[in-house]
Amino acid sequence: MQRVSLLDSIFTRLVAWAIAVSIAVVLVLGWLVTTKFERMSQATVRWNVDADIRHMADILDARGQTELVAHIQESADLASPPGTGTHFLLVDAQGRRLAGDMTQWPTFPARGGQSGDIMLPGGRPAFARAVDLAPDMRLLAARETGWTMIQLNQIGLSFVAGGLFVVMAVGVAGYITARRLSSRVRVINAAFRDPEPDRLAALDTRQARMDEIAELTRHSSAALTRLDRLARSQRDTTDQIAHEMRTPLMHLDNRLVRAIQAQEQAGSGSGASSGGPDAETIERLIAARGEIRHVVATLESLLDIAHSEAQRGNPQGLAEVDLSALAANIADLYTASAEDTGHDFRLEAEEGVTMQGDEIQITRLVINLLDNAFKYVPPGGRVTLIVKRDAKGHPLIAVADNGPGVPPEYRETIFERFGRVQNGSGDPNGHSKGAGLGLALARAIAQRHGMELRLAPTVRGARFELRVQAGA
Amino acid sequence: MTMMARGVERTGVRMAKNGLDILHIEDDSRTAADLQELMRATGDRVTWAPTGSEGLRQAGVGEFDVIILDRMLPDFDGLTVVRQLRDSGIGTPLLMLSALGRTIDRAEGLDAGADDYLAKPFEATELLARLRALHRRASGHTHSAVIIHGAFECHVKARTAFRAGKHLALSPKEFELFRYMIENAGDVVTREMLLRDVWKMGFDPQTNVVDVNIGRLRRKLEDGFATPALETIWGTGYRLLDGR
Repeated sequence: MQRVSLLDSIFTRLVAWAIAVSIAVVLVLGWLVTTKFERMSQATVRWNVDADIRHMADILDARGQTELVAHIQESADLASPPGTGTHFLLVDAQGRRLAGDMTQWPTFPARGGQSGDIMLPGGRPAFARAVDLAPDMRLLAARETGWTMIQLNQIGLSFVAGGLFVVMAVGVAGYITARRLSSRVRVINAAFRDPEPDRLAALDTRQARMDEIAELTRHSSAALTRLDRLARSQRDTTDQIAHEMRTPLMHLDNRLVRAIQAQEQAGSGSGASSGGPDAETIERLIAARGEIRHVVATLESLLDIAHSEAQRGNPQGLAEVDLSALAANIADLYTASAEDTGHDFRLEAEEGVTMQGDEIQITRLVINLLDNAFKYVPPGGRVTLIVKRDAKGHPLIAVADNGPGVPPEYRETIFERFGRVQNGSGDPNGHSKGAGLGLALARAIAQRHGMELRLAPTVRGARFELRVQAGA
Repeated sequence: MTMMARGVERTGVRMAKNGLDILHIEDDSRTAADLQELMRATGDRVTWAPTGSEGLRQAGVGEFDVIILDRMLPDFDGLTVVRQLRDSGIGTPLLMLSALGRTIDRAEGLDAGADDYLAKPFEATELLARLRALHRRASGHTHSAVIIHGAFECHVKARTAFRAGKHLALSPKEFELFRYMIENAGDVVTREMLLRDVWKMGFDPQTNVVDVNIGRLRRKLEDGFATPALETIWGTGYRLLDGR
């Protein structure tokens, strides 16, 4: 009874997908927000730097160089929060510092020309731009960008924390929903695996909601109940047939027994008028009893075939059967009678071959095959019971003989009910015990176990093989 | 006389009580009457209960050696009756007699708590043999180290058999057969019982395989002796004689 593993469950996969999607959504959102924020901050910084430069240019135009130097010095002395500072450097044509808080002309990025990201002493990042205010005067204005970085980090952290929360929420909600769905599906599965009436009733009561699973549950319940009713009615009918036939047959049998006893007593009575036991009548009465047994056996076989066919594919009631031991036990029973009938009977059994099955039924199957072989193989012939594993490791049982074999036209019909091979010589010994149902029952039992019983191609004799169905 | 040590069992004294007290739960009056007649001949006493509830009541108040229960009753299912009996602590050996004779029906009956199962129509000897075997098993006399019946001795542990002191060379399966026969000595054992208990097969193969095996055992038991060892009960089974 294989159950769906946690990894294979569609519900686990659904939850995993939901988690993966929410992670992706959080990542994309985070990326979008940080990129946008970074661009806006960059634009602001550039705009501010340009404004600073314009402001200084205005001062130079309006009030002259001395005022500019003083103003730059003043601006540079202003304190500002970390990561937001404004810096200036004013140099003459020779590169000598005229004013500003910076002491050294910074290195611009190779492709940036006279503007771009620079690194201030002390590892503070900044955006800077340099312009020629006058032919002999060059101004560099810079604004620190450290604060932007801090803000970006904060935003990133918020997204990580928020994302984790979202993923957990999705996971937990998904898990709860999945468990609920999975338990509802499990009820349906259990009902299908083992359609007991109480399980079916449990299906019926679980229709609180009107969703797809509720619909599936309702339909499953209806189908299973119908199947269950069919199986029950089949069982009831066969039970009744058996009962209604066996009981009168038993009374008939009892009458025959009394008739036989009466005949025997008539014989033992010394009266001359009784005329002794009528041997012929007794023989006929005994034969009549034999007929009753035969009718009962036929009925039983037919019902057994019907039962096996109804049970096909149902693993209920199957347990591990040691085929090697089973074959040894049967061989033990048959060896003596094979010697008496002059058959060469052999057992070729590998050790420890097992399968899932119903031991009584498999014994019956093997015995039917053996009875069939001993019936058709003439004395002196060989009958072999084989138990082994095939190339794929599956169990295989075979009954092989070197008798006359089965004529091609009968290769399939022998497995049908009452489909015996008609031998032209007639059947003087009245080989009617099997009633032609032995192989039909054997095949029904094989199919009930998910196996196939077939006549293997042989050059001589017959070889019946019970094996796992090809493709199974 | 070394064989008379502890654990030795004499089959002769075991069935001191004459006949069995039988409760027959069966709705079909003709079957009941037939059984009454049969049991009168064998000296057993039968109490008939026509319904499941009456049967349960009788089983509760009376002392019975065995119960014969029909599978299909008008009020209860036979399986229900067995379960109720077993649930209320009544462990009397029970044989289920039924018109349902398929292997599945047997398995159900035994699972429900029946000790044996016999399908209709049955041979009278088969029923009598089963009832006696059931009663014997329930009285728990089957675990002796040495079983003696007449001139026969069976040393269970050593797995050896003797007749009048002469060792019998039996194969393992023949020993099993002999042991089963001597455990039921004095009573008939049927083919079906042998198949079920010695070969562990729950059905009759419809061929003479059992007879052939018994025939071999008989030859070994009788080799060198003038008197027969086994009596064949026509059509059903065998009885181990005392071999004297």
